[in-house]
Amino acid sequence: MTWLAQTATGSTSLDEVYRLTPNVYDRFLALERGVWTSPALDPSMLEVARLRIAKLVGCSHELERRMPEALAAGLTEAKIAELAQWPSSPLYTARERMVLAFCESYVIDAHSVTDALCARLNEQFSPAELSALTIAIALFDAMARFRTALDA
Amino acid sequence: MRIPVPEGGMSLFDWQPELFATFNMFYGVLWSEGTLDQATKEVGRIRNARVVDCGI
Repeated sequence: MTWLAQTATGSTSLDEVYRLTPNVYDRFLALERGVWTSPALDPSMLEVARLRIAKLVGCSHELERRMPEALAAGLTEAKIAELAQWPSSPLYTARERMVLAFCESYVIDAHSVTDALCARLNEQFSPAELSALTIAIALFDAMARFRTALDA
Repeated sequence: MRIPVPEGGMSLFDWQPELFATFNMFYGVLWSEGTLDQATKEVGRIRNARVVDCGI
């Protein structure tokens, strides 16, 4: 439960906090919807990125969440359970490993996103995919920190 | 340039104009509306940039 002295009406803890600024929240929801419906990105791949970032930040709220788009795309709890072992798990593809490596560098130290890492990303993804992916990772990182700081 | 910019574009985000427009709507509202004064928001933005060491 959030430590904010005042909350708004909402169906989730995030709603209760974010609806304090409804104009901002509406635009945020539009951005989030744009990320999850982007034809450039596989929802299953996005979900493992979101969950890995949530784990790195330590955001229990985001770790408990599951995006229906990812489940509909075939992501299983068995695969999610192996997320910490992504470098060696056979459940993760080469593209997913690249995304997760990018996520870890982005979250832990953005300066560790090296030219070598970018060259490998460019081998696996088109510029349009990398553009959408970078926006998605930035959104997931921001939300994990927002929800952790406000306990919402 | 780590990710090439599309022809006629200005940044890598021009590969995703619709998504970038949605982001700009969100970011624009953060700056143009709300209860916090602009100076407070700018102090937060600059401090965040320094912590991340973002030279841009």
